[in-house]
Amino acid sequence: MTRTRRRLLLVGLCGLGLATATALTLNALNSNLVFFLTPSQLASKAPPPGHTFRLGGLVAPGSVVHSEVDGKPLVRFAVTDGTATVKASFGGVLPDLFREGQGVVALGAMSPNGSFHATQVLAKHDETYMPKSVEEALKKKGLWNPNDGPPPPASTWNTLATKAPMKGG
Amino acid sequence: MDAISATPAVPGRSLFRLANPGRFMRLSGRVLPVLIALGLGFTAVGLVWGMFFSPADWQQGDAVRIMYVHVPAAWVSSAGYVGLAACSAISLIWRHPLADLAAVEIGPVGAGATAICLITGSLWGEPMWGTWWVWDARLTSVLVLFFLYLGHMALVRAFDEPERGYRAGAILALIGAVDLPIIKFSVDWWNTLHQPDTITVTGAPTMYVGMLWPLLFAALGFSFGFGAIVTARLRAAVMERRLRGLLLARAEESLAS
Amino acid sequence: MTNLPYIVASYAVTLVIAGGFSLGAWIRLKHARRQLAAVDPRGRWQ
Repeated sequence: MTRTRRRLLLVGLCGLGLATATALTLNALNSNLVFFLTPSQLASKAPPPGHTFRLGGLVAPGSVVHSEVDGKPLVRFAVTDGTATVKASFGGVLPDLFREGQGVVALGAMSPNGSFHATQVLAKHDETYMPKSVEEALKKKGLWNPNDGPPPPASTWNTLATKAPMKGG
Repeated sequence: MDAISATPAVPGRSLFRLANPGRFMRLSGRVLPVLIALGLGFTAVGLVWGMFFSPADWQQGDAVRIMYVHVPAAWVSSAGYVGLAACSAISLIWRHPLADLAAVEIGPVGAGATAICLITGSLWGEPMWGTWWVWDARLTSVLVLFFLYLGHMALVRAFDEPERGYRAGAILALIGAVDLPIIKFSVDWWNTLHQPDTITVTGAPTMYVGMLWPLLFAALGFSFGFGAIVTARLRAAVMERRLRGLLLARAEESLAS
Repeated sequence: MTNLPYIVASYAVTLVIAGGFSLGAWIRLKHARRQLAAVDPRGRWQ
């Protein structure tokens, strides 16, 4: 065996060992690397009231109610992941992308009454990008309502021709 | 004295033919102008197209235009690290002197690309998500990539004897390569604020074609530009090394006489 | 354009960093070439 071959084998074996160790570590860490809990995860193992965590999911369609309490804005909404739904409230400034059907990640804690009180709400948008004209065309044809969930398969719209000018402004 | 020309050439293997500095300088001298032209051309077309002529997103509005700098920078920062890891493996296994120099020169440029990715991502996150930064798996693993680049830069310069710095840097770069699949799959493996990838190997891109084209142009431009900057730095490094060798030889000559 | 400050800032940051690296590489290359020519006028790399 030449010295080069030996070094090649050594680097290869070290790489293999490292990859295995990393894979095992990541696997063990899996549950702890969660940035947010979904409503279903919350239903099975809810943190105690007052314990701060992040709740993630979609804003349930038809759930958003804007109101004012003591002169301060308060928005009530529900976070859903399709199987479970959690009621939430928030008294701060919402991100521009906040709407029904949008993904959100909210930082806060459970109140004793079983609803989630958020101190920060972040918008989690999806990985689809389309011009307004395409969104409107899909809506007009009844193929997609953004409030109800994710858009139809990309291949059905990502080359869709619309009459509106494609020039942005 | 000159470690590069002292390396025995292995005939028929292009990798080793490049170890001859004269051959590398001739070849890279021809390639560099092409890389510069392609880098400037594709980047200019992609960014002007993305900034002024591509459609705004239906929900993000014009903020989506940040994508045309953020995504190419992210791709290039990961691809640059693949290059760094490849040079490190070649350096460790075959003791290829040009791979050592290439690794040293890729490091800072990769760190720059990662910095662009992190800063533009932050500038995109604030108006869209509502925050400059979150410690989710995608953002954190890219920050780790940035620190890996910085660590490599520091390590290869930390030794009096350059050879030891190259060895240590190569080992760090290879160990750090585990971060690359973590970056790629973080958005699929864990709950993250960052959205999953729009462009994947397996499925149709979930992006309108009028946005996809400028993105691909910008990505090509960034890649050629990255290659051009690294090639130029590598040419300079080879010349600087030859200069040191010549000066050292002259100093020894004058001492001997 | 919506969110114009953020868009302009991100393009500016990109161009400044990329331009800085390009300029740095160009200056370093020019410097190395000139020094090498001074030490070894018959060098083949100019």
